[in-house]
Amino acid sequence: MDRGLYIAASGMLAEQIRQDQIANDLANSATPGYKSDRTAQRQFGDLLLANSTSGATVGSQSTAVQVDAIETDFTPKASRETGEPLDFAITGTGFFSVQTEQGVRYTRNGQFTVSPQGLLVTAQGDPVLGRGGRTLQVGADGRVDPRALDVVELTNPRKAGDNLVAGAPAAAGATTGQVRAGALEASGADAARAMVDMIASLRSFEAGQRVITTIDSTLEKAANNVGRVGV
Amino acid sequence: MLEGLNTAAAGMAAQQQRIDAVANDLANANTTGYKHVRVGFRDLVYTQTGRASAQGPQTGAGAAAVDAGRAFSQGTLQRTEQPLDVAIQGEGFLRVRLPDGTAALTRDGSLHVDGTGRLVTSTGGIVQPAVTLPADVDPSRVEIAQDGTVRAGDRALGRLDLVSVRSPQRLQAVGDNAFLPTAESGAPRPAPATTTLTQGALEASNTDVADAMVSMIESQRAFQLTSKAIQTADQMWEIANGVKR
Repeated sequence: MDRGLYIAASGMLAEQIRQDQIANDLANSATPGYKSDRTAQRQFGDLLLANSTSGATVGSQSTAVQVDAIETDFTPKASRETGEPLDFAITGTGFFSVQTEQGVRYTRNGQFTVSPQGLLVTAQGDPVLGRGGRTLQVGADGRVDPRALDVVELTNPRKAGDNLVAGAPAAAGATTGQVRAGALEASGADAARAMVDMIASLRSFEAGQRVITTIDSTLEKAANNVGRVGV
Repeated sequence: MLEGLNTAAAGMAAQQQRIDAVANDLANANTTGYKHVRVGFRDLVYTQTGRASAQGPQTGAGAAAVDAGRAFSQGTLQRTEQPLDVAIQGEGFLRVRLPDGTAALTRDGSLHVDGTGRLVTSTGGIVQPAVTLPADVDPSRVEIAQDGTVRAGDRALGRLDLVSVRSPQRLQAVGDNAFLPTAESGAPRPAPATTTLTQGALEASNTDVADAMVSMIESQRAFQLTSKAIQTADQMWEIANGVKR
């Protein structure tokens, strides 16, 4: 019976992680090019229960639940017009390449600006790379030809913070993405879905707590009432 | 779960910064030569939950606002027919000396004549190099050519010097429509020949009121949504507290 306590507690812990992930989606509901996450839960290994005297199997029982992975939904979102010459959006798949101190990273947030040297850089100051891995000079008219920007397809994209994504670039020419100037991709966080997930997660957490309190009162009965004479 | 609280709080702070910036843009919707700010967002670091395996689940820490510099797109020209109003068309700034003595740049071309005949901006910045109107010249007879040459009849009185910087997005705004060059923006240099002055007009603010309102609504709703995440995290704490009666 006390096994149930730990199973319920593991479920509550998993819901806490899901809640953290939903809070992050909501906090980024206006971040251009943000990609939403989804928490995937998985049960621990099953336990085969058997009758201890006859040896007949009773069935299997899960021992706990854990968060297996947080999967990012990298599907492209609609872009919106901003009219700013240094805002770029990729229609279709692919990522912009950015030269960071940690090496080349990728992003779908195309809100760029000009560095003191006249290069096209991200808002954090990292140079944006053009075709052939070269940095891009902003023209005298304050614009950059959107066709000059490099668009890379990634095989194993993984979020790295600061709007950046780490991953291994796929073979050149694999992308179907087209760059548009004067537009930004909307955030991938879906407010309605996040709210529903948040409620579901909260109630699941609450149910876990009920299970624990119920098992607690059952144990209390077992400890205090079983064997009592003359109630 | 404590993380969720901080994550949501970071998101709310970021939205608040944008609302502040948009409010300032809207307040300056009628300021001559005003350039609106571009506020963006970034997601924060992702931390691994559980074991430090290479591909384990990772949760983010929220969002922060980022400054993508000012948008130096051209504002529309408004005709005023005042002879000392000039609008800059294209990239460039007028050089002025602020009342406190610092050299600054401005796109506010609503000029006046001060007590000693010098051309000054509406906030008292003296145009550099100084252009002085002799006492016998009627300010309404002054002609300012596209290249900045100031004339009264056939007398050349001086020239309004147009300069630009390499990265105007990185200029420091100091209020009174003035910008200071910084190491990041680069030093002032002569403006390109395509930049011209139009006499009798002023450049309007480039704040797009409709756009600013949309940003404001978006930020307000995002702020509201994120606050729900805080409420939920709080409720979860309460439930967790109920485990032990």
